[in-house]
Amino acid sequence: MSTVLAIAGTELRRFLRDRSNIFFALILPLLLVLMIGLQFGEDASARRALVVGTESPLRADLITGLQEADVRVAVRDRESALEQLARGRADIVLVVDDEAAAAYGSGDVGVEAVLGSQATAPLVQRQVTSVLSGLQTREGQVTALTSRGVDRALAEATLDDVTASSSAPTLVVRNLDEREQQFSGMGQFDFGASGQLLLFTFLSSLTGAATLIQARRLGVVSRTLAAPVSAFQLIAGQVLGRFAIAFFQGAYIMAASSLLFGVDWGDLSASLVVLLMFSLVSAGAAMVVGSLLDSEGAAAGVGIGLGLVLAALGGSMSPLEFFPETMRAVANLTPHAWAYEAFADILRRGAGLGDVLSELGVLAGMAIALILLGSWLLRRSVARAM
Amino acid sequence: MSQPAAVRSAPDVLVVDGVVRRFGDLTAVDGVSFHIAPGETYGLLGPNGAGKTTTISIIAGLLAADAGEVTVAGERMGPQAVAPKRHIGLVPQDLAIYPELSARENLAFFGRLQGMRGSALSDRVAEVLELLGLSDRAKGPTKEFSGGMKRRLNIGIGLLHHPRLLILDEPTVGVDPQSRNAILESVEALSVEGMAVLYTTHYMEEAERLCDRIGIIDSGTLQAEGTRDDLLRLTAEADTVRLSGSAIGPEVSAALRALPHVERVDAGPHELTLLVHDAPARVAEVVTTASAAGMALTGVEISRPDLESVFLHLTGRALRD
Ligand SMILES: Nc1ncnc2c1ncn2[C@@H]1O[C@H](COP(=O)(O)OP(=O)(O)OP(=O)(O)O)[C@@H](O)[C@H]1O
Ligand SMILES: [Mg+2]
Repeated sequence: MSTVLAIAGTELRRFLRDRSNIFFALILPLLLVLMIGLQFGEDASARRALVVGTESPLRADLITGLQEADVRVAVRDRESALEQLARGRADIVLVVDDEAAAAYGSGDVGVEAVLGSQATAPLVQRQVTSVLSGLQTREGQVTALTSRGVDRALAEATLDDVTASSSAPTLVVRNLDEREQQFSGMGQFDFGASGQLLLFTFLSSLTGAATLIQARRLGVVSRTLAAPVSAFQLIAGQVLGRFAIAFFQGAYIMAASSLLFGVDWGDLSASLVVLLMFSLVSAGAAMVVGSLLDSEGAAAGVGIGLGLVLAALGGSMSPLEFFPETMRAVANLTPHAWAYEAFADILRRGAGLGDVLSELGVLAGMAIALILLGSWLLRRSVARAM
Repeated sequence: MSQPAAVRSAPDVLVVDGVVRRFGDLTAVDGVSFHIAPGETYGLLGPNGAGKTTTISIIAGLLAADAGEVTVAGERMGPQAVAPKRHIGLVPQDLAIYPELSARENLAFFGRLQGMRGSALSDRVAEVLELLGLSDRAKGPTKEFSGGMKRRLNIGIGLLHHPRLLILDEPTVGVDPQSRNAILESVEALSVEGMAVLYTTHYMEEAERLCDRIGIIDSGTLQAEGTRDDLLRLTAEADTVRLSGSAIGPEVSAALRALPHVERVDAGPHELTLLVHDAPARVAEVVTTASAAGMALTGVEISRPDLESVFLHLTGRALRD
């Protein structure tokens, strides 16, 4: 075992010794997480309304109503509200002018709205309409009661009792857009972080296979076998070393994205198991590349090429949910897509280990197949070099 | 030199018996047998492609033999034999060290593969670094080393675990004279410590200086074996005569071969190498004959019998670099 650990530890150490890896493995992924996060904008699924106008009962009731419907509301002056809307930072601007505020008391409910261009804007508009019609109904009821001589305070209290005792049919406003639903619960940097984690874990493993190629080429692998080391120990050490490189890369992105960008990795043990399984797949792929190719340059080329293409196909660059049907099917050939699904469940939908077993199963199958193939290729290449 | 009976009967560290290895149609090693006693340095002397590295790879258990067997310290060697490999320290012909690791890290890694641990390992690493003259360069990555320093480290990895048999495959190729001398001296010191050494080279001076016994290998076969003096006797005291010049046609070789005292003639592009009995008396005749046959001579050199003459005597070819 100690022999296996010595070989694995040396491979990880060699990977970390490479200066260029400090940038490519440690800095670049975080830069990309940051950039993708900024593109997605703050909480992609959040709906925002800006309210303009002085303090009034209408403004207060409107804000309360919208907040109950899970819309984020802020009060702004007219100019800055419109500017933010133009920049896409809000879905709708609601102007509660004095006239509208005054009309509220007489049972007439209405505000002026300016709609943004976001996909979520029409949804927020519907929510505003629904809140306003609720207010209108209530104002109408109050007015009807007071006109029959009921004291206004009594009328309001009575209506409150009715609302409290009758479980009013609640209309849960879901996003009409299916896509919106899939992204709800997702933080600004979540997609970028899980995507880059998968991209870089796989990519670094493949380019890291250059150290195996170099060791074979320099005869260090043969020299290892001239020591009392069995072929099995050599291969196990290499697999473990490749795994250590992959897992290190992934865990680093997990930790750094959580610390720097506040990415919430959900059920941590579940996330770590997904990373572990994906790292095993990456290690297997690295064994294949490192045993099959004979030049380090080729490994870098194949590593980057394959690493980027599989990541793109597997939804690490743009979300799988945006893929047309046939591309989704193709995506399922990549380990990235399965790990993406598992992370999406854990990060956005609060899934635990038990909910992602099928994805983990597929990843385990891929890992076993690649590790066996890579081990066989390494054995063959060592025998050939002799 | 008489040895005490106990030493003489000490079992051989290495026994190579009838080893054969083929690569397709090529028989790279063809029935090689020899043995090495503790404290003995054995040289395998042969030109490029003679089969030295192939023989060594079989001994070290890196390559399977098609026939024959190898025993190291009484244990049968082979690619499946793991434990007996602890008796061997292999210094490969090509530099087999990690370029991005330091000398100390390289030594520590291979020491761990040999089962060394803790302070025993770190003490021995420090000792070997001292021995190699690399103590002050122990920390930097070895890719910044000079060729000679890398060669020295390559050797250090082989002897780190006090193997009973140290195998060095052409350890001085491409090394400056200073490092070369340091390497030869350290090999001499090792055999004094009782280590058995197998040393391959195509430099006859190295074989002469270091080796107690020498096997001359060519085309995968051991042509002759013995001490330097044993081997020199094979030539029956013929001297080596080198004629340098140009226009070395087949008729030149033929004319020289016809001379009674000339034993062997090997023609290179710019040089003829001959084995001549009683050379000082016969060299004038050799020169005249060569010129008459059309060779444009630029130089003549006579040397006393050496391993070069032995090789020429045995194979009919010169042992060139
Ligand atoms: N793996 C291999 N596959 C095919 N042929 C090989 C292989 N290894 C060695 N040979 C051939 O076997 C012969 C002996 O090679 P070997 O390397 O043992 O020679 P050597 O004496 O070590 O030469 P050098 O002084 O150049 O190192 C050569 O003809 C070589 O081409
Ligand atoms: Mg060789």
